Amino acid sequence: MILEVLTVGLVISACLAIFIDEAVYSVAALAATFFFTSLLYAMNDALLAAIFQFAVGVGTLAVLFLSGEMLTGKPAKEMKSKNVLPVALYGLLLSLPAVFLSIFHSAGSTPSVSFGEALWNLRAADVVLQGLVILTVAIGIGIVLHEKRKGEK
Amino acid sequence: MDFVILSLVLLAIGIYGLLTKRDLLKVFVSVELIATAATLNFVMLASAATEQVGEAFLVLAFSTDTAVSAVILALLVVARKKYGTSDVSDLVKGDRQKEESEAEA
Repeated sequence: MILEVLTVGLVISACLAIFIDEAVYSVAALAATFFFTSLLYAMNDALLAAIFQFAVGVGTLAVLFLSGEMLTGKPAKEMKSKNVLPVALYGLLLSLPAVFLSIFHSAGSTPSVSFGEALWNLRAADVVLQGLVILTVAIGIGIVLHEKRKGEK
Repeated sequence: MDFVILSLVLLAIGIYGLLTKRDLLKVFVSVELIATAATLNFVMLASAATEQVGEAFLVLAFSTDTAVSAVILALLVVARKKYGTSDVSDLVKGDRQKEESEAEA
């Protein structure tokens, strides 16, 4: 029952994120989408995925809120419930197939490969390359900021 | 209860937003929804098959997703600062007008 409620909430918040015109409320709906996704992962024994989803979601939304504030520079308009209700109903309708239909059944066997093994034995090159890219980006940002500060002086 | 259908629904909502919305912020939200649909598929299929490879892929998918978000946000900020709008059609229109005026000159 909880999974079904989370599914309905996820689809409704995704619809609201797309259809609400006001940027701040749209981002808030996206936050709800990330939150529901994270809860769905946690309910399905994917705790690491839930934590990653939550961390990435929070980071993205913090940047979005900051940029939204920076870009608009005007107070957010009040959200009208008459605009929200049809969208929420539309989302509810869209979530029904996911709740009532089924095309996939779980195998229910024991895990053959653990998360750590899968990450380090199968995707080690990707993870190391990813770390290098992030390090390069961080060094690049540092150099750009340093040059900018030097130019200002 | 099926997560494949849920991820398809999320993908459909994201693609709809990507095709119909002209604001860059909405495009960003749509891309985030599409990425969420993809990661949901990874995690739920991995969870159902009790296989952890899907979750390992998820870590990589998240970093790609974050990189895409950073690029779109940078575009959004630059477009807003340079042209004063984040509407994609206005940006294209402004670009075309600039090209035409340069060709006339």
